[in-house]
Amino acid sequence: MKLGKGIFLVLVLFLSVAVFGSTIKLALVAPFTGLGSILGDYIKKGALLAVDEINAAGGINGDTIELAVYDDAANPSTAANVIRRALFQDNAVAIFGPNMSSSVIGVHPLAQQAKTPMLVGATSPSFRYTVIPNDYLFRLRADDGVKVDNLVKYAVEVLGIENPGVIYGSTDYCLAAYEVAKKKFAEYGIDIAAAEQIKEGEKDATGQITKLKNAGIDGLVGLTHESEAAVSVNQMRQYQVDVPIIGFSAWGVPAFTDLAGDSAVGVYSVQGFNPIDPDPAVVEFVEKYEAKWDGEEPSDPAQAYYDGIYLIADAIAAVGTDGAALAEYLADGAEIVGVQGELKCDEHHNFTNVSLISQFDGKDWVIIDKIF
Amino acid sequence: MLQDILQNIISGASIGATYGLVGLGVVFLWLTISRINFANISSAMLGAYLFITFYGMNLGFFLSFVFSVALIALYGLGLRQFIYEPIRKRGGGRLEFVVATLMLCTFWLNLIIVAYGALPRPFPPVFGKSTDFVSIGSIKISVLYLNIYFVIAILMVLIYILLNKTLIGKSFRAAAQNREAAALMGINVKFTTSLSFMMATCVVGIAGILLAPIYFVSVELGGGAIGVKGFASAVLGGLTNPYGTILGGVCLGVLENFSTLYISSTYKDVISFSVLILVLIIKPSGIFNWKSKRV
Repeated sequence: MKLGKGIFLVLVLFLSVAVFGSTIKLALVAPFTGLGSILGDYIKKGALLAVDEINAAGGINGDTIELAVYDDAANPSTAANVIRRALFQDNAVAIFGPNMSSSVIGVHPLAQQAKTPMLVGATSPSFRYTVIPNDYLFRLRADDGVKVDNLVKYAVEVLGIENPGVIYGSTDYCLAAYEVAKKKFAEYGIDIAAAEQIKEGEKDATGQITKLKNAGIDGLVGLTHESEAAVSVNQMRQYQVDVPIIGFSAWGVPAFTDLAGDSAVGVYSVQGFNPIDPDPAVVEFVEKYEAKWDGEEPSDPAQAYYDGIYLIADAIAAVGTDGAALAEYLADGAEIVGVQGELKCDEHHNFTNVSLISQFDGKDWVIIDKIF
Repeated sequence: MLQDILQNIISGASIGATYGLVGLGVVFLWLTISRINFANISSAMLGAYLFITFYGMNLGFFLSFVFSVALIALYGLGLRQFIYEPIRKRGGGRLEFVVATLMLCTFWLNLIIVAYGALPRPFPPVFGKSTDFVSIGSIKISVLYLNIYFVIAILMVLIYILLNKTLIGKSFRAAAQNREAAALMGINVKFTTSLSFMMATCVVGIAGILLAPIYFVSVELGGGAIGVKGFASAVLGGLTNPYGTILGGVCLGVLENFSTLYISSTYKDVISFSVLILVLIIKPSGIFNWKSKRV
């Protein structure tokens, strides 16, 4: 009798799965605590928006996506711990994140070891496929090498900067960008007049700006995070160093303009995303994001992970949930149109190289050029 | 050249004064209960977040300020009641208090992230805009720093009167030297301890509201470099001298700017903290802890 009941329950379970579909577990690893947590919120909301849309539309071949969210506190060792758990205990089909380049560099071998695709929004060029040939590691947005190249190109060719100053932070994100900028300026035969570092958390850049001013710079390139960008711009205005300022991607987000206030007016930035971009795909994404998240405006990482979920959904629909097959498909066959435009894996394992040059007018970032 | 030097002295002293202001919270507790509160800087973060919450409810500057400081004072009382006293009564000493407050600091950081998110927020321009400045010749001083100098001046006078001219000041010192003997002499040690906790959290809470336009309303106010530099300032003042603490902070700020100006912005913290360690090795009791004027 007991055996009969057991068989009945197994059959019910089997039929439920057959009729209602099973779940596909994806892992999202991002910072939600600690000082790097600014980005975690955007990432989670962008990814969840895509997951909910896909599930509402019937899932992937009838299976629903379950997004397990892990906090890496923007710390490589914490990232390694949570990714081990996601891969080896929770058996995630794919990992989204980590989003900090230093964490990616530390943990990407785990993805290779587990033969599970890892799709990241981190932007350091130091883990391009040509540098670290990990078949399971993919990037969801333009890397900093591309963005800094475009930034320097605009600074030299359009703004006519010949004696540039650079202010940069101390994280891998900033240091890698600084190296690319140095190389790109050198290609134009231009030496950087002065390069000063502002460490994360610093609130006074008087010494740095004094040195930049004394070096006679005719333009400032900013390669810092948001808070330090606001400090630098405020003090550039305060000490009346009136030169064009062109900042990196962290300078082109609301977190910077909110903090810098009027000082941000006139600043140029290279962006991966602009919420007032008239591109229909961007307009639709912004409307959906704002509707779901109480009017909050999305940022660059939100669109990247949103696109990423659709990419993996396309891959699973095509080849199933086997990690090796997914990685192979992502590298060679995946091709979708997302918020960022056409997404296709290039030789660096980057799915897009889109970047925008914009200028802040006191309210919005006015797009000057969109480079694909 | 002279202009650069003066400008960097002024800016360094200004940012350094903020370190000193935070260090005052450390000094108040050490003066009375000889304990280091590692959640000292949390009061600054709580002060700033409470202020923008009340201000966001259209309560205006004055009421927002009063309510924020009152809640921070209550928090100080709670700190004594629910952290310090239970540890003391169960035989815990300085180390247990340090560990408990260290965990409390992390608790507040994470609670703020959960409640407000991790995005730094701009502070309403109640003290002027961050780009407003006063020019003295070619030297520029931000109006935000002028407010801080003004509050520090008032605090210094109040602290001097409180510690040197009132019975409370004597009670503080007596309780710190020997709690039991002070109680036997009729000093209300419970009241003195409560007051010191409330003063410590209040001073740092007010500092948080003043610093928010510079540091933004962010979790950096509750665990970033300013907390460490606040401790460094207090140690330079020997943990007992409020005036030495402010001076210690000012010197640290100037040292940082000069390290950037004459050596390297990359090694700024390495240089300033190396000097700090050297100074402490030479005079562990605090280089700005002049005994003749010790309160």
